[in-house]
Amino acid sequence: MSPTAAGSREPGAGGFWATVRLVGRREFVERVRDRSFLISTVVSGVILVAVIVLPRLFQGDNTVHVVFRGPDAGAVAAAAERQAEAAGLHLKVVAPSTSAAADAQRARNGDVDALLDGATVLSKDTPDPALLGVLEAAHRQVLDAKTLAAQGIDPAKVGATLDVAPLRVETATSSDPRSGQRRGVAFFATIVLYGQIIGYGFWVATGVVEEKSSRVVEVLLATVRPRALLTGKIIGIGLLGLAQLLLLGVAAVTAAAVTGGLDITPDVVGVLGIVVGWFLLGYSFYASLFAAAASRVSRQEDVQNVTTPMTMLLLVSFFAAIYAANSPSSLGAAVLSVVPPFSALVCPPRVAAGTMPAGQLVLAVALMVLAVVLLVRVAARLYEGAILRTGGRVPWREAWRGAGR
Amino acid sequence: MLELLDLRRTFGATVALDGLTMRVPRGQVFGFVGVNGAGKTTAMRIVLGVLAPDSGQVRWEGSPVDAQVRARIGYMPEERGLYPKMRVRDHLVYLARLHGASTATAAASAERWMAALGVAERAGDRVEALSLGNQQRVQLAAALVHDPEVLVLDEPFSGLDPVGVDVLASVLRQRVDDGAALVFSSHQLELVERLCDAVGIIRAGRLVASGTVEELRGHGRQRRLEVEVEGTDRWAAELAGVRVVDRAGAALVLDLADGTRPDDVLAAALRAGRLVRFTPVQPSLAELFREAVLA
Repeated sequence: MSPTAAGSREPGAGGFWATVRLVGRREFVERVRDRSFLISTVVSGVILVAVIVLPRLFQGDNTVHVVFRGPDAGAVAAAAERQAEAAGLHLKVVAPSTSAAADAQRARNGDVDALLDGATVLSKDTPDPALLGVLEAAHRQVLDAKTLAAQGIDPAKVGATLDVAPLRVETATSSDPRSGQRRGVAFFATIVLYGQIIGYGFWVATGVVEEKSSRVVEVLLATVRPRALLTGKIIGIGLLGLAQLLLLGVAAVTAAAVTGGLDITPDVVGVLGIVVGWFLLGYSFYASLFAAAASRVSRQEDVQNVTTPMTMLLLVSFFAAIYAANSPSSLGAAVLSVVPPFSALVCPPRVAAGTMPAGQLVLAVALMVLAVVLLVRVAARLYEGAILRTGGRVPWREAWRGAGR
Repeated sequence: MLELLDLRRTFGATVALDGLTMRVPRGQVFGFVGVNGAGKTTAMRIVLGVLAPDSGQVRWEGSPVDAQVRARIGYMPEERGLYPKMRVRDHLVYLARLHGASTATAAASAERWMAALGVAERAGDRVEALSLGNQQRVQLAAALVHDPEVLVLDEPFSGLDPVGVDVLASVLRQRVDDGAALVFSSHQLELVERLCDAVGIIRAGRLVASGTVEELRGHGRQRRLEVEVEGTDRWAAELAGVRVVDRAGAALVLDLADGTRPDDVLAAALRAGRLVRFTPVQPSLAELFREAVLA
């Protein structure tokens, strides 16, 4: 009844990278098939798109609705429309109703943004200063024109004379009109980057402990070197994280472009490229740490404890990134955007703000690559030393010494 | 031939292996017995390279066991282990692939072993959904799926029902008859006695006895008799070279010292009264084991 071995003999296990590929593919495939992955992807996608789309829906576009009443209503409305256009405000003139009282009520209820009746502005809350400025200017323009016309001057000429374009604004810090949208992209990217690194790093940790707690690791290590197992796991889960990141990125950018909040320009693509690059570096760094820490324990309940230092480090990096996004030119932001592992989260917002010189970027990447290379070696040794030790928590020192035994 | 040569290994102050040497040729089922903590599991883990010895060597066909050789060993650790969430077929294919099998070979082999061990209808289920007995069968399939030449199984029969034991025993016998070498440990000594061509008894990290069960019985030890003489049980007390070790009903169980001949005992019994029963007794492996580990 037993099968025979005839013809089924292969020449032995493949090399290191062949094994890594097999392990990595298992991690990727098994997790993609897991319903929780699908759910988490959909949920993150929905949240991200909602965060981008909802404010636009509620805020509407920047259209203001105004009712004009009074003897010069038509002229003032026309002047206000011209002024508003120059100020970048979209003003919609709402036809007045039959009674002044009804229009006043509409203004008080907020059905319209403002009612300009003669020399009085009525609105629910304090009106937007920009709108108030537009109405003020339009009102004055019409009054001035009337006064001048009363003195025999051609109203058409007056109108042209009094129509003055608004002032052009120049600032010292950023004259790049697109830096705003790049920074918006970087802000969302930082949140997503943080979420991906911590989420997938933690997945590596629970994956390591799953192998320990289920004891399958001993079956695996009878034919697979610990380093190949670790490398395959980190790469497989990392590719999954990368795939999800790209998916979320495409969803977010599409949502932003469709709702009109974002033009997809080369510099936006550049920022997204930087984010993906830093995901790879940051993930490699933290995943190695998570794996080494997790290999010390045998129960899922203990994962949280041993990985606390890494999650704290990530949280600190995250707040540093928020800080850097707000003041990208500060010394603190400059330092943190270069020093590993903070650079993983702090660098992208600085690049997006256009305040990171190319030299600093190259230095930041070089330092991070160096850190990753060193850390992967240390983590692999710790993992090797601790992975077969079951029972309590393996002290770091014993894990370090235990490698190769 | 699988050879374990002078293996030594300590864990802190504990000596787990103290110069263990044993040999298992192809075509042999070698039973590895010893009390808990004697060093069986440590020895097996060293064979698989999961653990490194402090000194000593493991050889297969005369050369040291390396990664290439390990890919041809089937291993069932004492602590069972599979990915709980993986599907049975996928799991077996994955393990076969890790041992170097091609995709097609791995798939075919997984099907064969699932059928042979009676878990084929669970191929698409997650491991955790199976009963413990079926998980055990999958674990065995996992050790066999790459058609290994050497099988190292730590307590393969524990947790199996009698039908499972018979299925596994015949599967293993077939592998060994095809030329594999099999080492397994067990506390079920009747099973070891039934299945094994040779037995090694390990005590405190050393092999204290090894050979066929027959050799162990004859190997310089007392032979045993059960003798009943009507009306008396005191006749043997003064007999030289004979020790009364037990009673079996009205009969005495006697151990004979080296050089004492059964016919001397028979003569003494006949002198004492009417002989009812005179039976040579084969000590069981369990008894040999107790003597070996308690001596």
